[in-house]
Amino acid sequence: MSIVDLTSMSESQTAIKNEINQRLSKLKDEVSDYCYQCAKCTSGCEAHKLLELEPHKIIALLKRGLIDEMTNSEVIWTCMSCFKCRERCPQKVAPVEVLFALKNMAVASGKQIPGNYTAMLQSILTMGLIQDVKSVTTNDNKTKNRTELGLPEISKPIDLAKFQMVLSKLAVEKI
Amino acid sequence: MKKYALYPGCVIPTEQYAYELSIREILPLLDIKLVDLKGFSCCGEPMKSVNQMLTISLSARNIAIAEAENLDVFAPCPMCHLAMSECKRILDSDEKTKERINSFLADENLKYTGKSKILSILDILYDDEGLKKISGLVKKPLKDVKIAVHYGCHLIRPSEIGRPDNSENPQKIEQILKAIGAKPASYPEKLDCCGGLLTTNLPETALTKTGQKLQAVQQQGFDAFVDVCPWCHRQYDSKQTKAGETVATKLEVPVFYLTQLIGLAFGVKKEKLGLEFNLSPVDKLKID
Repeated sequence: MSIVDLTSMSESQTAIKNEINQRLSKLKDEVSDYCYQCAKCTSGCEAHKLLELEPHKIIALLKRGLIDEMTNSEVIWTCMSCFKCRERCPQKVAPVEVLFALKNMAVASGKQIPGNYTAMLQSILTMGLIQDVKSVTTNDNKTKNRTELGLPEISKPIDLAKFQMVLSKLAVEKI
Repeated sequence: MKKYALYPGCVIPTEQYAYELSIREILPLLDIKLVDLKGFSCCGEPMKSVNQMLTISLSARNIAIAEAENLDVFAPCPMCHLAMSECKRILDSDEKTKERINSFLADENLKYTGKSKILSILDILYDDEGLKKISGLVKKPLKDVKIAVHYGCHLIRPSEIGRPDNSENPQKIEQILKAIGAKPASYPEKLDCCGGLLTTNLPETALTKTGQKLQAVQQQGFDAFVDVCPWCHRQYDSKQTKAGETVATKLEVPVFYLTQLIGLAFGVKKEKLGLEFNLSPVDKLKID
């Protein structure tokens, strides 16, 4: 299977697109009504100062139906997933989870995934882990691997073909 | 003797050897046996932005592997622990999703039932018995070492999912440190995020976050900085020099895994705790 299966869906799959749209409008209905824009989320947001993420605005935009604009925006990818907004929201809106949903929707509708996510996903597909075992440099500039350190062989999927089969079934599932 | 399946995840066994070595060294001293199982994969949490179904399925898959051996799971990486705890919370309360996930797992002859518990590093080290055991084993107390504690976001939030310590005022690591003679002190930036998860798409900003926190710790005159997460440790220790460059400060903060400090206090040799892998100036801290 290829990476394309998991991360993008071609234009012709209107059924899936409709499903995504339905889910997005459900997201809009479920979440946004409870938010009264107190901006407690933004005041504690780890990504606010450096990257101008304003979770309360994300929720407000969602409420106004500007969903396409948001799945197209780079700002949804600035969240550090610290979960402070979810923890502190007096209305239990959880902007971080809304952002996860928006990012998932962006990926599912074939938008470009930023940074190394694609490489990480590819690595999971080919070996089960986000990266392969590394030889690590010590503070006196020697490189050491697991065997030299007496560590057991790394645990990873035994039958890769079967593991990939599980993931490929997931790929055709909707989010 | 308690027995757990060790779920190492991705970052610990592929590069953060210091954490793995120190865990394997000190847990047996606390009468805890770790069982290595074959077949684990990523916990799925790093992929949550891409596809949440993938996250839940991968977590369920790993829990199912431990369930097949009738073992509870010890996940030292807080991110893995969060992914697995969230997966458990969803699947244990939603029969339909559980069935759907199990239909995927059937290809590998695995089945999630929900019988195994998921334990974090704090669940393992901290309870009344654990603290007593720890203080009883101390041979070289870290006398008066002033330590800044970093919990890491995933260990304490979201509390709704069930996390091992309080989300706004966590104190368990401080208590463990007191049990080994050290002097943990609070600081305003204690709950700040390391930025590590941004490494995937905004690595420079990630380093700035890291640098800002270490800068504050350095200014406040701490002797050491302690963490329990391989993602955080990679930022604070492995990349400390670079993090310093992004905030235009020469950072010289000794950064340790909690398990390394416990090991040092127990009198375990430096080599066995993987101290050679700490790239921050850990030699500044003299323990004898």
